[in-house]
Amino acid sequence: MKEYTILALGSAAAVTLLDHLLGTKMTHRRSFWITQAIMFLFEIPTNGYLTWRPIVLYNPEMFLNIRLGTIPVEDFFYGYGLITLTLIFWEFFASKRNRTGAGSFS
Amino acid sequence: MRSEYLLVLAIVVLFPLILSFVLDLRLFRRLRSLAGSVLVSTVVYGLWDVIVTSRGHWRFNPEYTLGPALLGLPVEEWLFFVVIGFVSVFTYEAVIKRLPPRS
Repeated sequence: MKEYTILALGSAAAVTLLDHLLGTKMTHRRSFWITQAIMFLFEIPTNGYLTWRPIVLYNPEMFLNIRLGTIPVEDFFYGYGLITLTLIFWEFFASKRNRTGAGSFS
Repeated sequence: MRSEYLLVLAIVVLFPLILSFVLDLRLFRRLRSLAGSVLVSTVVYGLWDVIVTSRGHWRFNPEYTLGPALLGLPVEEWLFFVVIGFVSVFTYEAVIKRLPPRS
């Protein structure tokens, strides 16, 4: 297996585990998966452009070289992890501020 | 054009930024949560990026980047994490706001 492939899959698994450990339960939310679907759709033209131009050039020794258009498949797992990590901490910091309780007072 | 990577990022962030005000998502009223979550992913994925760029996983086309770099990454690449982080939070909050509550 190639390095980027391992890291992309491993990071996607690691953030999902972190979601459970922190108790943010993002992966249990419908809104989370809709967000992932929307981000996935927008990743195709944007990352498609970055990889087609190419603005970022990938080393074939480091990934499988299976591409969706010009986008390496690993990028979608990378993107999932990046989005998920951000949303985990968005919810984590918000819940520490009692965001869920705030609605009942306002 | 050397500003092309920056231009792509600007286009990506433009509509979410405008829509966050149109939809009244009040993301900047929760600036500490917003900045905190974006910072976490920027540090974690930025560090990953620094290491694997030096290991040759990928490289950045000098024809489409401005030149200034931090820890071996073009400034645009650091900005990428900030942009994607913001757009992620924006999309999530927009979905929550527009989604009918589950009965």
